[in-house]
Amino acid sequence: MEINWSAVLGIVFTPVIAFLVGVTYGGLTRRITARIQNRFGPPFYQNILDIIKLYSKESNINHGVMQHLGPVFAITASVTTLFFIPVIKDSPVFTNFSFNGDLIFLLYIMVFGSLGMALGAGQTGNPNSAIGVSRGLSQLVGYEVPFVMALVAIMVQFQTTSLNDLLAVQDHFTKWIIFQSPFAFLAAILAFLGMMGYAPFDVVIAPAEIASGPPSEFGGKYLGLMLTSRSIFTFAKLVLFTDIFLGGAHDFITLIIKTFILYMIPVLTGIVFPRFRTEQSIRFFWSWPLFFGILAILVVVF
Amino acid sequence: MINMNKNLYNENQTIEEIKNTFHTAEIKLQRESRIIVKLRSDLIPPFLSYAKNYLAFNHLAHFSCVDWIEDNEFELVYLLYSYEKNIVVIAKTRISRDKAEFVTIKHLWRQAETYEREIHEMFGINFTGNDRLNEFILEDWDDIPPMRRDFNTIQFAKDNFYTRPGREDAQDVRETITKKSGEKIPDFAKEFSVRNLK
Amino acid sequence: MFNDKEASKIVDIIKNFARKHSLWVVAYGTGCGAIELPPTMTSRYDAERFGIRGSATPRQADVLLITGYLSVKTLKRVIRTYEQMQEPKYVIGFGSCTINGGMYWDSYNTIKALDRYLPVDVYINGCMPRPEAVISGFIKLQQLISEGKADGAKRYRENLEWYRENQRKVIKNWRMPEYNW
Repeated sequence: MEINWSAVLGIVFTPVIAFLVGVTYGGLTRRITARIQNRFGPPFYQNILDIIKLYSKESNINHGVMQHLGPVFAITASVTTLFFIPVIKDSPVFTNFSFNGDLIFLLYIMVFGSLGMALGAGQTGNPNSAIGVSRGLSQLVGYEVPFVMALVAIMVQFQTTSLNDLLAVQDHFTKWIIFQSPFAFLAAILAFLGMMGYAPFDVVIAPAEIASGPPSEFGGKYLGLMLTSRSIFTFAKLVLFTDIFLGGAHDFITLIIKTFILYMIPVLTGIVFPRFRTEQSIRFFWSWPLFFGILAILVVVF
Repeated sequence: MINMNKNLYNENQTIEEIKNTFHTAEIKLQRESRIIVKLRSDLIPPFLSYAKNYLAFNHLAHFSCVDWIEDNEFELVYLLYSYEKNIVVIAKTRISRDKAEFVTIKHLWRQAETYEREIHEMFGINFTGNDRLNEFILEDWDDIPPMRRDFNTIQFAKDNFYTRPGREDAQDVRETITKKSGEKIPDFAKEFSVRNLK
Repeated sequence: MFNDKEASKIVDIIKNFARKHSLWVVAYGTGCGAIELPPTMTSRYDAERFGIRGSATPRQADVLLITGYLSVKTLKRVIRTYEQMQEPKYVIGFGSCTINGGMYWDSYNTIKALDRYLPVDVYINGCMPRPEAVISGFIKLQQLISEGKADGAKRYRENLEWYRENQRKVIKNWRMPEYNW
């Protein structure tokens, strides 16, 4: 049996790179937030230290099987999502498992982590977790609709569901889908704000209100797993958006620049906005983003 | 002191009205917008009702208790405020310490229920008609109510809570400082020194 | 390469470095000292520089900050909070009230020496300690962690009988749940 060594290399290194980049972005976010609030802020590697500390903590709490499996589901979903996204365009190493029809698959697998977390948080029996889960799932329904609208518009426009085909279409920067289908981009980027969970859409993990919501009963290694998963998932989503709208990247430097610019949109929005309640955020997602999504489909169809 | 230059029309009128209705009341104008009314204990509910309904003292600002252990009496103090007249009426009454019982006024002001719970817990006064006199702020308290003056707080704290012994050289801060720096304690400070107080 | 002892030593150094620079404080304001924490955390003094951060639940926290006097009623909750935290965990006694009772030395309902009931790693004195003092207390705790001397949780585990005896003496009606900690 012939082993494709470059693919194996990609599988080994993609999560590691994703974790490092995601964690550094998280640290930079804290730094940027601090600078905007006229503080000095923690060093950019603060999140790495946090995660090492969390992994080195003891966790001897037992609330049942799903409590142990919830964070595992979350990290499984993040890594799986990452594997089905071509990280570097046309690279044999970092193309990973992307196959024809993977956009629809990604739509499914991206929700899996949240659902796993919901099951795990539900098992702990903490009322704050239950409130957080119900808020999170309602918000999920809110932002999934405009996101799917945007993706459907793109799928109809280019008659493909494959990310590789979409990347092949955008061979020049004038042909980036952000320019070819701007309404779809608007709908998707507004849904992206909700996806990232920064303010104004952070009612799920509101720390002062419901004691950090779903993870309120998770500490130590479980929380470490969750933060790791969150870092990887952040990177996966950023790469997905870069691939769909910004024409992907041929090398890591381009990728970092593009993802960082994309990442700053929810972060900078989050710093200046207060928090939406659940029904307010759903009302928001089903107004302008949905309007742009429908507009994108209408533009494509007619 | 009462500033006689101020216009005390409202105060004087209120005092007149109270005097005409409750002849036995001892009324004193303490200063502007403060009237103290001392009453027999059985006249307190009618007085409060009258003040609320006829004199527009709508607000029960505070309800408290004083332990007069020398007279073997508790003094109940009601503070009523009128938004129209901008006057506080302080209604005081005394009840016997041996039979610490009084009627509730929660039908006049709902918030009195909470004040009564607190006074019940801190002074052990029973308010008939108030059915919520259960455990409130103190948890698992099995001694005599702590705000009564026959309750020896220091002895209780000594018995129940561990007291950390102080540092020997820090019994008197002034002496320690003077020893270290070689300064003299000034005469006016000497008489307040801890050693002299003992 | 390394033998086991050296390897574990290196792991310990990394662990202690991470623990030292990532202290999550459980947001549980017990006394009047809790008011000193907002200026400590926000832009004037910015404790996040040192990796000190608030955490919402005791499960996620490392440091329990006892900010001021503890009434017996609060002590009950504090013990429960402390026992729900995951090791390694540290306790900082904040203000004179936790050291010798402070201005509540003759109160009928506040405990006077915190270290009889919970293992204290660092005391910050003052009434109230300023945010600078709070930060210096945290830095002292960081020093203790990097030297491996902040072993409050270990002391609590080893002398649990003694601590329980003291706690039961104050909390008369002991209705504490069984934990799985």
